Amino acid sequence: MPTSHQKLESHSLKFVIMILFVASIGGLVEIAPLFTIDNTIERVEGMRPYTPLELAGRDIYVREGCYACHSQMIRTMKSDIDRYGSFSLAAESMYDHPFQWGSKRTGPDLARVGGKYSDSWHLAHLVAPRDVVQGSVMPGYGFLAATPLDVARMPAALKAQTRVGVPYTAEQIEKAELDTIWQADSEAENEDALFARYGEKVNVRDFDGNKELVSEMDALIAYLQMLGTLVDVKALEKEDVVR
Amino acid sequence: MQIERDEVSGQNTTGHEWDGIKELDTPIPKTVILAYILTILYSVGYWILYPAWPYIDDFTRGLTNYSSRETVLVQLAEANSLQTDRNQHLLDRPINELAEDPSIRDQYETSTNVLYADNCAACHGQNLKGQKGFPDLTDASWLWSGTPEEIELTIQFGINSGHDEERFAEMAAFGRDNILDKDQISSVIEYILSLSGQDHDKKNASLGAPLFIENCATCHGEDGKGGPEVGAPDLTDRNWIYGGDSSSLRETIWNGRKGEMPAWDQRLTPTEIRKLALFVYWKSRDQRK
Repeated sequence: MPTSHQKLESHSLKFVIMILFVASIGGLVEIAPLFTIDNTIERVEGMRPYTPLELAGRDIYVREGCYACHSQMIRTMKSDIDRYGSFSLAAESMYDHPFQWGSKRTGPDLARVGGKYSDSWHLAHLVAPRDVVQGSVMPGYGFLAATPLDVARMPAALKAQTRVGVPYTAEQIEKAELDTIWQADSEAENEDALFARYGEKVNVRDFDGNKELVSEMDALIAYLQMLGTLVDVKALEKEDVVR
Repeated sequence: MQIERDEVSGQNTTGHEWDGIKELDTPIPKTVILAYILTILYSVGYWILYPAWPYIDDFTRGLTNYSSRETVLVQLAEANSLQTDRNQHLLDRPINELAEDPSIRDQYETSTNVLYADNCAACHGQNLKGQKGFPDLTDASWLWSGTPEEIELTIQFGINSGHDEERFAEMAAFGRDNILDKDQISSVIEYILSLSGQDHDKKNASLGAPLFIENCATCHGEDGKGGPEVGAPDLTDRNWIYGGDSSSLRETIWNGRKGEMPAWDQRLTPTEIRKLALFVYWKSRDQRK
């Protein structure tokens, strides 16, 4: 006497229909929540798209696989908050494609690392982690300081972001290459142009201590130094973040 | 294709046969199936009790009305009020008095060590000894004075941090900006080596002396001892932030220096800052004894 499953297995059309049905449950569970994203993201002040230099730094962060050891997601747990600061909001990664959340921390969470250390510490640490942090297992990234940043690709990089919904303006895309160079300028001669395009919360300075070169290190430190600095989380009321 | 009963195991075969090899069709044990059903029932219970299913502009909230954010905010508020009560006396008394009170040290030193490790050790080291580019907190040289009050101010507002109340100090790039030429810088280096009691070229150092008075004394003082009024380091001792050998000095004079310490008043609470100031003061005083 064949079991019901054996009957199903031996009837190809029935079997195909059942496979499609079961697979669609998985799809539904992943896709349906995306339709509610508008009311998942908190409405908070201060979020803006990344400046081109920060975006370039973010691309390097992803390229080098920093996410394999560092999360950017402070969880809603007291121990996490005591160490890293207020829990992360969905809004704070609204311009992240892809986001850098995670639950594996070989190194510390970086969601609010911006401003915690000086640029020169970041430089010393990225070049030789064990010189500044005893027992660190992080590899060195000294080559970033010697690698010129590919600034010419930034307009295209911003444009690609607009395809996935980041609201860069035509002007921001057009000026992306200049903005990249201007943000790493030690004299900050054109900071007003950057402030006009990206708001006041943009760090304009030479990040890697080498005024002669806009390096990949400049971009990465610029990115790290802005992480978690855009939204004034302390000013938020409970109603803003709890639903 | 024939399903048979296997004599040894007492189970049926699948009926397939490959080159004389037959496969048993042992059913999954009942306990495993039962556990599987229980996990499904558990999830149903979870849907009823906790937030679970999204719909158009909201989600099912569950009978417990649980919210992880609300829960942690309540925990934080409780911890906060408890700490405020317990630590209020730290803010009520002058920091200089606290620094000399052994009972305060007994009470707070161990827990403050964790705070120091999380926030300060990255630059100043777990032993407070600093490292190249980041000052040693245990030597007697303080850029901005080592009294508990002044240490507290430094932690609050930082050095060259961009904070409105920051301590600001910048050493010019004498070489790069063509204020001094290469020979003049070499002379000044010899003079600084002589100030700090290192081997030096006497003739060249004497050439460097007037250059030092003219260019460096505004901040470092005519005697080279610097001072906390301008945050200039003492050049006559053996404590160096960026190195005191001839090539390090050349690098410093050529490119200038502008060390940065972040401001902590937004990241840490006033009590935490006060505890850290006391901690640094105690530890550095111990190591100087």
